[in-house]
Amino acid sequence: MDMKATKKKLGIKERYAHMTRGLGWEPTYQSADAVFPYDKYEGIKIHDWDKWVDPFRLTMDAYWKYQGEKDRKLYAVIEAFAQNNGHLNITDARYLSAIKLFWQGVSPLENYVVQGFARAGRHFRGEASRVACQMQAVDELRHYQTQAHSISNYNKYYNGFHSQRHMWDRVWYLSVPKSFGEDALTSGPFEFLIAISFSFEYVLTNLLFVPFMSGAAYNGDMSTVTFGFSAQSDESRHMTLGIEAIKFLLEQDPANVPIVQGWIDKWFWRGSKVLALVGMMMDYMLPKRVMSWKEAWEIYAEENGGALFRDLARYGIRPPKGWADACEAKDHLSHQVWLLFYEYGGAAAFHTWSLTDEELDWLSAKYPDSFDKYYRPRLEFLRDKHARGERVYQGTLPTLCTTCQIPLCFTEPGDPTKISHRETVHKDEKYVFCSDHCQEIFGNEPEKFVQSWLPVNQIYQGNCFNPDVDPTAPDFDPLKAVLEYFKYNLGRDNGDFEGSEDQRNFAMWRGQASKN
Amino acid sequence: MTYELTIEPMGATLEIEEGQTILDAALRAGIYIPNACGHGLCGTCKVQVLDGEIEHGQASSFALMDFERDEGMTLACCATLNSDVTIEAEIEEDTDAEQIPVRDFPGTVSRVVDLTPTIKGVFIELDEPIHFQAGQYIQFVVPGKGIERAFSLANAPSSLSSTAKEIEINVRIVAGGEGTTYIHNQLKVGDGVTVKGPYGRFFVHQSARKPLVFMAGGSGLSSPRSMILDLLNNGWDLPITLIYGQRNRAELYYHDEFVALAATHQNFRYIPALSNEPAESDWGGYRGYVHDAATATYPDGFVGNQAYLCGPPLMIDACINALMQGRLFEDDIYFEKFISAADAQQVRSPLFRKI
Repeated sequence: MDMKATKKKLGIKERYAHMTRGLGWEPTYQSADAVFPYDKYEGIKIHDWDKWVDPFRLTMDAYWKYQGEKDRKLYAVIEAFAQNNGHLNITDARYLSAIKLFWQGVSPLENYVVQGFARAGRHFRGEASRVACQMQAVDELRHYQTQAHSISNYNKYYNGFHSQRHMWDRVWYLSVPKSFGEDALTSGPFEFLIAISFSFEYVLTNLLFVPFMSGAAYNGDMSTVTFGFSAQSDESRHMTLGIEAIKFLLEQDPANVPIVQGWIDKWFWRGSKVLALVGMMMDYMLPKRVMSWKEAWEIYAEENGGALFRDLARYGIRPPKGWADACEAKDHLSHQVWLLFYEYGGAAAFHTWSLTDEELDWLSAKYPDSFDKYYRPRLEFLRDKHARGERVYQGTLPTLCTTCQIPLCFTEPGDPTKISHRETVHKDEKYVFCSDHCQEIFGNEPEKFVQSWLPVNQIYQGNCFNPDVDPTAPDFDPLKAVLEYFKYNLGRDNGDFEGSEDQRNFAMWRGQASKN
Repeated sequence: MTYELTIEPMGATLEIEEGQTILDAALRAGIYIPNACGHGLCGTCKVQVLDGEIEHGQASSFALMDFERDEGMTLACCATLNSDVTIEAEIEEDTDAEQIPVRDFPGTVSRVVDLTPTIKGVFIELDEPIHFQAGQYIQFVVPGKGIERAFSLANAPSSLSSTAKEIEINVRIVAGGEGTTYIHNQLKVGDGVTVKGPYGRFFVHQSARKPLVFMAGGSGLSSPRSMILDLLNNGWDLPITLIYGQRNRAELYYHDEFVALAATHQNFRYIPALSNEPAESDWGGYRGYVHDAATATYPDGFVGNQAYLCGPPLMIDACINALMQGRLFEDDIYFEKFISAADAQQVRSPLFRKI
C-alpha cells in the first residue's frame, strides 16, 4: 500500500515566497544594464537584490480583495455624507480653507508619487523591489481618487475647489509642493526612494496625515476622516517600505552610506519646508484645534525622529544637517507662513481672516516663547486695521527661494526679527534662497535648480497672462490678469473670509437646516 | 486568570494574562511578530487564529477587514484571549531551533565552587537528565523564598544525547539581591533544589555554516561557554573566536580552560580582554573593552561571520555598534534579549527587528 508522506505545512512567509519570488529572469536579448539603465548612475552599489525584505507581503489577488472592501466602506460613508448634507455639520466654514489647501496642494502630490513609484517599479533590477514599488503606485492612485471623491462633495457648494489641475501648474504657493514632487520625480530611482519612502513617508508623514485627519475629526468632517483611515491602513506599509529601503541600501555597500546621507540631508530639509503649510493649517485654519504645530513637531519629529536617528547612527548615519534649524523654527514657522498668506490673501484661492481674542490666547499659551513677543502684536495690528476697513493686502510680489519656492518670509536662526536671505552667483546669474540649507541644495545640483519655474519670476517675465490680454492697454491690471490666468473666480475664491460667499452660504444653509 | 497562547509555526507556548494583547505577550517572550502602529490601524501584525476564541479589541475596520475576521484573522496588537488560543504568525521558521517542552527538574546540589571573588559555580545533579540546546537558560527555584531566578546553563549538553545529568550555573552576587545572596551565603552541597526549563531562543545557527564570533562579558560567559564546548565536542570545523572581557585578572574565570582549548583546537581562537587591570601587572593580553578588542581582532570587518553576544546591556550595545561599523548586520547578530515593561515604554524606532 502506498503511504502518503505528510507534507509539512508551509509558514505564511514561505507560502508568500513561493508565490512571489523567482518572478524575474536574466535577460538574454539585451544586457541587464541596457534593460535597467538607471539603477547604477547614482553610485549606489547593490550586490544582492535578494536581501530586499518585502514589506508588503501581499499577492495581487489578496490586494484587490482588501482594497475592494476598503473602498466599499469608504464610498458608503461618502454617499451618506452627501445625502445627509454632511458639509453642514462641520464646525465652521473657515474649516473649508484647510480642506481647500489639502485638495489644492497635497492631493496632486499623491498623483506625482503614483508616477514616481511606477517609474521606480520599472527601473529596479530586483523583482521584489519592483513589485513593492508597483503596489505602492496603485495605492497612491487610490488615495488620489478617494480624496477626489470625498472632497468633490464640497465642490458642489463652496468656492476654491474647482480647478485643481489647472492651478497646480500655475499658482504661486502650489509651486512649493509641485517643485518638491518634481524634484523627486526627476531624481534617480534610489534617490526617489529615499526622498519619498524614507524622508517623507517615514520621517515626516505623521506630521502631514495626523494633523489633517485629526483636524477633520475635531471639526466634524466625517468624509475626510474616513478617507484618512482608509489611506492610513496603506500608509504604514509605505513607511515600512521606507525603512526596508534605507536598511537595504546601507547594508549593501559602505560606499552607499555617504550618498544616502546626502539625500537624507536634502530631503529632510525640503520636506520640512513643504510642511510649513501644514503648520499654518493646524495653528490658524482649524476652528477647533487639535494640537499646536510645535507640539506635533516635538512628538513626531523630535521624539520619533530622534529615536530613528539614534538607531541609524549604527550605520554611520547622522541626523540631517538642517535638523537643529528645523527644530528651532517650530516656534516661528506657522506664524510666519500665516502672516504671509494673510497679507497675500488676495492672491490665494482660499480665505484668511482675523483671529478672535480667544484664538490669540490659545496661541499665546501654546507658544510662550515667541507668540506674544513677535506675532501677537502684528496680528492685532492687522486686525485693528481690518476693523477700520483697511484690510491689508500686499500688492507687490515677493522674492522666492530658488530651491523650496517659498517667499522669503522665514527669519534667521537665532534672530526672529531678521528675514533670512542668501544669494549664490552661478554662471553670472544671481539666485536667492531662504536658508543655508536651500542654498546648499542648489550648490550640489545647480544644473537642476537653475531650471526652477519660479512663479514670481515668470509673472515678471510676462509668462503668466492669458493669451488674449493686452499688457499695453491703458487700463491693464497685471495682478488681476495673473489671477485670471490662475482661473480664480475673483472675489469668491480669494480675499478675507469675513464677507465671503462661503461664509454667507454656509450660515444660510445651516440656518435652513436647523430653523424654519 | 491566565490563558495559554501557542504560536505556530514554531510551536512556542506562553502564558498570557487576561487583557494582555497577543503582541505584548509574544514580544515579552522574545518572539518577534512584525508590527508597526501598535494600536490597530495599520494591519502589520495580522495573525491567523487556528484555534480558540479571541477579542479583536480596537482593530480598525480598514486594517482588519470583515472577510478577514470571517477567515479567523486578527491583529496581534489589539487581540486579547477568551480561551487558550493557537495562532500562526509570520515568523521565519528556524531550522536550528528545537522545540523542547519546559519541565520541572528536581535535583541535589553536588558542588559549589568559587570561580572569582564575586561569582560562584553551582553544580546540580538532576534526578533525571535535562535535554537542552547550548545557550538556553533555566529558572532556579530559590528554596523557601517563593522566587525564581533565571540562569544560563554553563555546561554543554553531552555530545550524544544532547542531555545533561549534572548542570552548572554561574551566579554573580548582586548587592541586595535576594536570590543571589541566598545562593552565595546559604546554598550548600546536598541541598535539594528544583530548576525549570529549558527556556530561551539563544542557540547557535549552525545550518548557516559561517565562522562564529562570541563576545562575552561579566557573568555573561555561561551561554557562550556552553555553545563553544558543544560545538567543539561535536567536531564543528569552521573558525570560532571567543572575545571575553572582565574588569581584571581575578574576575577572569575559566581562563585556563579556554587557553587549553585553544591549544588543542586549531579552529578555536581565544582573546581575553581586561578593562580595568592595574597597569603594572604582568597581564600580556588585550587591555580594554570587548568591543574594542573585537574591532582590533577584525581589522577588515566582520563580513561573513555570525556573532553571538552575552553580557550586560551596555556591553551588548557597544558590541552591536562595533559589529555594524564592521559591516555585520542584524541578520547575523544574535543575543538573548529580555524585553521588560520599561523597554516597551521607550520610544523606539522600528528600524531594527531584534537588536
